[in-house]
Amino acid sequence: MSSQELNVRNKQEVSGAEHTRAGRAYVPDVDICENNDSLWLWADMPGVDEKSIEVKLADGVLSIEGQVSLKEYDSLSPLYTEYNIGNFARRFTVSNDIDAEHIQARMANGVLTVELPKAARAKPRRIPVSLA
Amino acid sequence: MTLFRLSHSFDPVSGLQELQRELDRVFERSAGVGSGLSGRGVFPPVNIFSDKDGYVVRVEIPGVDPAQLTIETNGRTLTIAGKRDVSAPAGGSFHRRERGSGEFSRSLQLPDDLDAGRAEASYQLGILTVRVPKREEAKPRQITVTSV
Repeated sequence: MSSQELNVRNKQEVSGAEHTRAGRAYVPDVDICENNDSLWLWADMPGVDEKSIEVKLADGVLSIEGQVSLKEYDSLSPLYTEYNIGNFARRFTVSNDIDAEHIQARMANGVLTVELPKAARAKPRRIPVSLA
Repeated sequence: MTLFRLSHSFDPVSGLQELQRELDRVFERSAGVGSGLSGRGVFPPVNIFSDKDGYVVRVEIPGVDPAQLTIETNGRTLTIAGKRDVSAPAGGSFHRRERGSGEFSRSLQLPDDLDAGRAEASYQLGILTVRVPKREEAKPRQITVTSV
């Protein structure tokens, strides 16, 4: 019916460093794309609103962390479950020279979008060749 | 069936751990059991909860335009279908591509005492919530005792 089948990716718990917050954190699925001007990142973080997300770039490491809202689960009793619920956290080493002042992040429908513009010196330049 | 309730004063610190424990417990209990819901592994994954009014189905499908979601009920069958597109800037090349895109459709069989015709759906923060109320006659009632 569709050209591309959607598969369930079971959530993976964040391994390695322990978190100061209680409860499990999961690794969000991401897409990372680069064009001449910027590095783009999209992360699936369902249940996280724009106030509960933190995007940081320090020492070449981009970290994203989101806290899920639990108020919806108040007074609900689980009957059948296929996915667990937890905060999201992931880190990336960013090799490009990023213009940290102009990083933009927004959250819509549970997807975080981060645009990391490249610093002018890291952008590809065409060097004009002149006739000698 | 065991009945339990998550704490009402849901403080964010222990609340998450408590919720995760409950979900794990239910996951283990329903794994491998012929519960009529053998769709584990089918996109999108669903969690089903109950509250005093009926069933609450929560589905994580981030980044979908709500207009692209179709929720249908037919008798006791609830069908969730839609399409997810992932965007990309012009002239970009991908370093990582983990987020799936495409069409999906999933049907769930609901128990008899639910009134699928009065189901309501909402989509918020990338989570689809479908509330299916119990039939009036299936709701718990308190019977007052009168003295003669």
